[in-house]
Amino acid sequence: MASSRILPEFELLIPQSIKEAVDLLGKLKNKASVMAGGTDVVISCTKGFGSPNVISLAEIPALDYVEYDSKSGLRIGAMATLQQVADNADVQKRYPALWKSAAINGTPQTRNMGTVVGNIMRASPSGDCICAILAIGGKVVLRGSKGKREVSIDDFYIKYRETACKSDELAVEIKIPAPAAGSCNAFARMTRTTLDLSKVNVAVRLDMSGKTVKEARVAIGAVAPTTIRLKKVEALLKGKQITDDVLQKIVETVPTEIKPIDDVRSTAEYRRDVAGIMVKRIILEALGK
Amino acid sequence: MKKRAITLTINGEEYNLNVPVHYTLLQVMRDQLNLTDVKYGCGRGECGACTVLLDVGKGGMQCKPTDKKTTYCTMSQSKRKPILACIALAATMDGKSITTVAGLAQNGDLHPVQKAFVDESAIQCGFCTPGMVLKAVSILEKNPKPSEEEIRNGLEGNICRCTGYVKIVKAVQVASKKTATGKR
Repeated sequence: MASSRILPEFELLIPQSIKEAVDLLGKLKNKASVMAGGTDVVISCTKGFGSPNVISLAEIPALDYVEYDSKSGLRIGAMATLQQVADNADVQKRYPALWKSAAINGTPQTRNMGTVVGNIMRASPSGDCICAILAIGGKVVLRGSKGKREVSIDDFYIKYRETACKSDELAVEIKIPAPAAGSCNAFARMTRTTLDLSKVNVAVRLDMSGKTVKEARVAIGAVAPTTIRLKKVEALLKGKQITDDVLQKIVETVPTEIKPIDDVRSTAEYRRDVAGIMVKRIILEALGK
Repeated sequence: MKKRAITLTINGEEYNLNVPVHYTLLQVMRDQLNLTDVKYGCGRGECGACTVLLDVGKGGMQCKPTDKKTTYCTMSQSKRKPILACIALAATMDGKSITTVAGLAQNGDLHPVQKAFVDESAIQCGFCTPGMVLKAVSILEKNPKPSEEEIRNGLEGNICRCTGYVKIVKAVQVASKKTATGKR
């Protein structure tokens, strides 16, 4: 039985540059886990699921940035904490979904340690930042021995806890496009207590032209092996005005698109029951209703 | 690397340490340095008993270069931020400076938050108190006049198993009033 007071031994590597980190990953491949804030990696160690090698990003300079530009959008560096993102005025104003997913994540202490990129890379089906970013849209910037590549968040999650990031690649940044005029987004989650992980989380992005939805992205988490987009719901929204009829149809459609399971946090039945209502409410919240 | 030499400042005192790389900050403080005012509760980042304040330099605008072309600036609102010693690896804390509850008093005078906890009897068994006091200090450093809701949200990461939350919240309110008028 692993103890949470004395961690099992592992090798710790503290690269001083992105290049050094990428070289280490190239050498160790899947025998290493990358640690940013440590809120997931260290806890895995306490539970005895740790990796024999831990690569800490703590001493790589200037990875803790949150920058917004009206042309290139938002860039979040691999060491930017959840609290930094929650405190950022541009995030608060332009990406309320992302702001909320960071601001309610864990506790004030873990928000000072854990990172948004870490939340993305952990690839938990209930990851709150994953849900928000999947709705808003964005790209994960990966650095590997062969150079840099960007993967759309839509193609990033392959299956349960597995991403498109190869074992010799390092996620260095998340890029999120600047919202177009008329675009709005929102996020909500359901938990037993505020500290708990989500039973279900939902997020939407609606690109509006007057009262008509031009384009919609709807994401939902903790109801499938990965966070998913609800393509049927998005199709129901596209080109429509949001009426009670449309919303009712959405409430009925959501349960047909998800595959929840029973687990320690909730039951499949309950998740199926609340998911549709949550999607309806988050659409109304995004529209400011 | 099985051990790493680090320099760590705790309550203003500098320690040159050789720490096994799998040791947590909590383990180093309690077992190597005998600083037992930092408590071991759950060991999994959930209860807040091991809260310490990490010094993040002077408040205000700080700018540093990201690459040759751009610099970025951050506005830090408070000088110290709460983190959890049970899930921080000591070896990654080289050069850092932290404050524990034993470092709050100045010249023998208790910090206003400590005084308020005593005056309001916001302590029952006392195990969560060091973490609670540090968390309360960080709440007031960020926001000197928090509402009750803001206090309760701020204390979310600290669990009191005696469930004496009402008095703890009251103590933070009392400390807020005292610090707002500049009295220690």
